[in-house]
Amino acid sequence: MSSAAAVDVEERRIFAMGGGGFTMEPNNPLLDDFVLGLSPVKEPHVLFLPTASGDTTAQINAFRSRFHDRTCVPEHVSLFRLQDTKRPLAEIVLEADIIYVGGGSMRNLLAIWQAHGLDRLLVEAWEAGTVLAGLSAGAMCWFQGGVTRSSGPPEPISGLGLLEGSLTVHADGWALDDGVGLLFAGRRLERVVSSRPGAGAQRVDAIAGELVRHRLEPELLEGQSHGALGGIDEAVEELRRVQRLRRGMAGGRG
Amino acid sequence: MRPRTPQIVALGGGGFSMEKEGSLLDEYVLSLTDASRPRVCFLPTASGDADHYVVRFYRRFSPSCDASHLSLFRRDQGTGGVEDDFATHLLAQDLIYVGGGNVVSMLGAWRAHGLDAILRKAWRKGVILCGPSAGSLCWFEEALSAFHGAPRSVKGLGLLPYSNCVHYDAEPARREEYHRFVGDGMRPGFAAEDGVALHFRHTRLAAAVSSRPDGRAFRVKPARDGVVETPLHVDYLGADLEVPVPSSQSADTAACARNDIASESIGQEPVAA
Repeated sequence: MSSAAAVDVEERRIFAMGGGGFTMEPNNPLLDDFVLGLSPVKEPHVLFLPTASGDTTAQINAFRSRFHDRTCVPEHVSLFRLQDTKRPLAEIVLEADIIYVGGGSMRNLLAIWQAHGLDRLLVEAWEAGTVLAGLSAGAMCWFQGGVTRSSGPPEPISGLGLLEGSLTVHADGWALDDGVGLLFAGRRLERVVSSRPGAGAQRVDAIAGELVRHRLEPELLEGQSHGALGGIDEAVEELRRVQRLRRGMAGGRG
Repeated sequence: MRPRTPQIVALGGGGFSMEKEGSLLDEYVLSLTDASRPRVCFLPTASGDADHYVVRFYRRFSPSCDASHLSLFRRDQGTGGVEDDFATHLLAQDLIYVGGGNVVSMLGAWRAHGLDAILRKAWRKGVILCGPSAGSLCWFEEALSAFHGAPRSVKGLGLLPYSNCVHYDAEPARREEYHRFVGDGMRPGFAAEDGVALHFRHTRLAAAVSSRPDGRAFRVKPARDGVVETPLHVDYLGADLEVPVPSSQSADTAACARNDIASESIGQEPVAA
């Protein structure tokens, strides 16, 4: 497949949320509607990548219930259940107008993307003007670096490097409350928006060994708060029951 | 502790995740451990750590084993998986059971967590490694994956210096494609049908066993014109059972069990490799 034509850097859009959107705000669609509005296409193709969660049914269902009755064409790709995906990955990724990445483990996300060559395709999509959006691991991944807790204690990890700095509470980066998103035009921060009154963001710079913090005042998004609940995966509940049973059987072996 | 032989049991498909009577293959694997209550750790990575799959593992193994699982995705949800030191936990097992799903995603996640090196070390120490489908392909140098689109060659962990093809009977195209790949330079290897397990000691095939009377496995090598496919002797594990199961019924049951998995969202069809 030939590469899509690149657009001017200023026309490349990334929307990075600390925590928000359909997986975390089932009753508040403001950030997701904002994401839809970032594409110039009237009925955009929205591709959801739930990779960082291990493609949980809960995330996929929450995506569907949020977007199925909006003006868009929602689709998701599971890299664990690729037999359900009939078209080549490159075709799906490069046809999307918006690519929305869910939260979870950043380490797993990047490793699995790399194994399937999706990291390269996403860079290509960004260069072609596809809107990239995501929360948590799905937001950190666009920056030079982030932190992952996937191996227990938080540790730094490299991202795709489309944006400078990191989305963490550490130096040289941004710290976001839940409900706040940063919109980048190219590598330049263009807007800071929020779905919740009172939520804030900080820019942290290391200057001469000191951490200098600047508070950013987000624009509060307006609209009607409604929307469907995401639904809790009952398998998790069942799993916990089995675990309790197992602990019981293990006796004092602990 | 006396030194233990490195062993791998590679299932073409079957075991607790696929067969209602999967206990025959699982019992065979457990019997290799020499432990009265074996320590068994489940790696559901290839399914994205699907909860249903983990639940079924505990249902099958916790009554007779010290069962645990290791999740690379859900570390914060208190689901009781191994949290801390992967290496120490895995090296202390009698058996590591790898679930089915997408082998490419699994190997990518394993490498990011250093599990590839840990599993190699565990194997050398004599921790038995086993699994169906992706849980078979991963141990070989090369594997034929037909999980998505055109079949492709995937580089596995390389503990076994062969190629591998699973679900050999599930779709006729699998066999043709495997022959084509081996004919075109993929290394020689082994193909197993659903319900058949290839048991390796060190890197040599020690036995082929089946939970079905008609289960088959083959050695496939390149030849002057294409390939040579040699059937392996396969021991039917149910031969001592009082009432033999007719093969057609057995196959139906397996298909049935596979559909169960499909409806239980561990990945619609984790049996596909």
